[in-house]
Amino acid sequence: MIRARDVVKEYEDGDGARVRVLDDMSLDVEDGDFVAVVGPSGSGKSTLLHLLGGLDIHYRGDVEVGGVKLSGLGDQALARFRNSHVGFVFQSFHLIPNLSALENVLLPSHFGAGTGDARKRAEALLERVGLKEKKDRAPVRLSGGERQRVAIARALFGGPRLLLCDEPTGNLDAATGAGVIRLFQELHQEGLTVLAVTHEDRMSAAARRVLRLKEGRLVEESSPSAPVASQGAP
Amino acid sequence: MRLEALSRLVRLSLARERKGAFFSAFGVAMGVGALVFFVGLGLGVGRVIREKIFPTDSRLVDVVPPAVSLGSLLGGGKLDAAAVERLAALPGVEATYRKMGIRVPAVTRYDGSFFGARLRMGMEVLAVGVDPGLVRSDVAMGEFKDAGDGQPIPALVSTRLLELYNKTFAPARKLPQLSANMLVGFGFPVEFNRSYVAATAPGPVTAAQAQVVGASDRAMFAGITIPLETAIRLNRASGVDADTFTGVTLVASDPARVPALMEAAKAMGFEIDDQERRLAENAGAAVALTTSALALLSVLICLLAAVNIAHAMSASVRARAREIGVMQAVGASRSDVRNIVLAEAGVVGAFGGAVGTAVALLLALLVDRFASGYLPSFPFKPESFFSFPWPVVVGGVVLGLVAALCGAYFPSRRAAATDPARTLAG
Repeated sequence: MIRARDVVKEYEDGDGARVRVLDDMSLDVEDGDFVAVVGPSGSGKSTLLHLLGGLDIHYRGDVEVGGVKLSGLGDQALARFRNSHVGFVFQSFHLIPNLSALENVLLPSHFGAGTGDARKRAEALLERVGLKEKKDRAPVRLSGGERQRVAIARALFGGPRLLLCDEPTGNLDAATGAGVIRLFQELHQEGLTVLAVTHEDRMSAAARRVLRLKEGRLVEESSPSAPVASQGAP
Repeated sequence: MRLEALSRLVRLSLARERKGAFFSAFGVAMGVGALVFFVGLGLGVGRVIREKIFPTDSRLVDVVPPAVSLGSLLGGGKLDAAAVERLAALPGVEATYRKMGIRVPAVTRYDGSFFGARLRMGMEVLAVGVDPGLVRSDVAMGEFKDAGDGQPIPALVSTRLLELYNKTFAPARKLPQLSANMLVGFGFPVEFNRSYVAATAPGPVTAAQAQVVGASDRAMFAGITIPLETAIRLNRASGVDADTFTGVTLVASDPARVPALMEAAKAMGFEIDDQERRLAENAGAAVALTTSALALLSVLICLLAAVNIAHAMSASVRARAREIGVMQAVGASRSDVRNIVLAEAGVVGAFGGAVGTAVALLLALLVDRFASGYLPSFPFKPESFFSFPWPVVVGGVVLGLVAALCGAYFPSRRAAATDPARTLAG
């Protein structure tokens, strides 16, 4: 599903110095896998997620997702890729406040996804995440967990094979976060590839693989049920 | 991005930013409304000048003999039959109409009923004879030709003279208002070669009855217009020049040929009587200048509206950076984002333009109503001071749209350049 080779991402800080966020990162994720990416703040976790999702195109190296080579794709092709190949779930949900839950889920349809009966599909997804009854509510009238489930429904709207999650339980209490993690597990069991950046131990425990990043490098790979395998940690 | 999806997103966005959109549209409406109003006023007043005050036909050239010239002393510059033939042979001349003024003074002494009022008046009369073809379409009774001695002389009056009579003379003297149709058939005595103030010719006085047969834009302004043959007969009877003409009107086959015809006539030693045309052009230029100044002011208001939209859209794009990032994350391309911002501005601009245009039309209607009801009557007072041809109306809406799109151009580019990775982080 994901194949990244020798990826380098740099940016200039306020003083003009170059900061390397990802340092020769190589990564493979199988189709249908559930991967948690962990590491300290500033280790490049979110940057990796943005590169894999086609949100950030300014890097060196090769990234291939679902058979699509992202390096060198134009803006339109990248937009199509984001619309139909991947779904994003963010820590702050990022729902549009003046749209109802249903309209938020329908948002990808405005840019091409869901060419059939988009409304029916959005309603089915809201039912899937247990929010059918609250489809007409504005985000402000939903709890944190409900907002995150709306965001997950939106991420699933285009029928992606890969779900990219950035701290999806970071703004949720323990019980609500557990519910969201369960939802990811169900989606994984249905065949979806899930890659989640997290600080949450329960999220890591739910994943099949855990990748640890430090200073832009992949330093450890483990399976919650298997011993830790070192990948050239300093 | 489908149009339906675009319109849905724009509708939602404008509904959320109703207040800002209203003020932006208001600015556009002010500028467009002022522009449409002043352009309509300029066109309307220009039309009155062109059609009522100085009605000129762009194909006509009035050739007259030179006032004083060495040629005329030597027999040149005379507008006789041969000269008319030479003028008629110029390339681009479709027709020629001769004119001959009555070269002796004339007076009318009227004492009788005048459309229900008692009128007792004596006044000098000027008269000019013209080829019937020049005024044929304005003749409402009988034929415009010389009927011979002792018969009524068909006479045309100027429509502008009639207007001045109705708006100034008649109210002052408590005389009835007259239309051209009412005047047709009205007769009054004229004595040629008689005057209260000027010297007369050696010939006899010829008394005749003039009968109004219509009103014409091409009739002499301060006098009566009679058939050319009548003028020749009367001049001959008074013993004055009845062979040369006081003017010839050339009809050009195309308005574009008029300048060449004027030059050719001048080269033949004649002058061009373009006083009316110049007056019309000067008045038209004054109106055009005033309209242009007001239109420029209106365009400046539109520019300010565009700047206001630029500010509003910039602020909106900054405030919605995260929302734009979300849209990019779910599949919006840079051009989608740019189109959304431009479409929002376009809707605001088109709405403002339509409202401004509608308000301008309404205001024009109110001004016309006010003028009709409260302004005293004056010569050439039109039914409407405005003219709104469809390009002005459509142009108002288009201008609003264009001003808004110009204002939103840079904000839309900034929105399209939003870095989703940065705005969605954290």
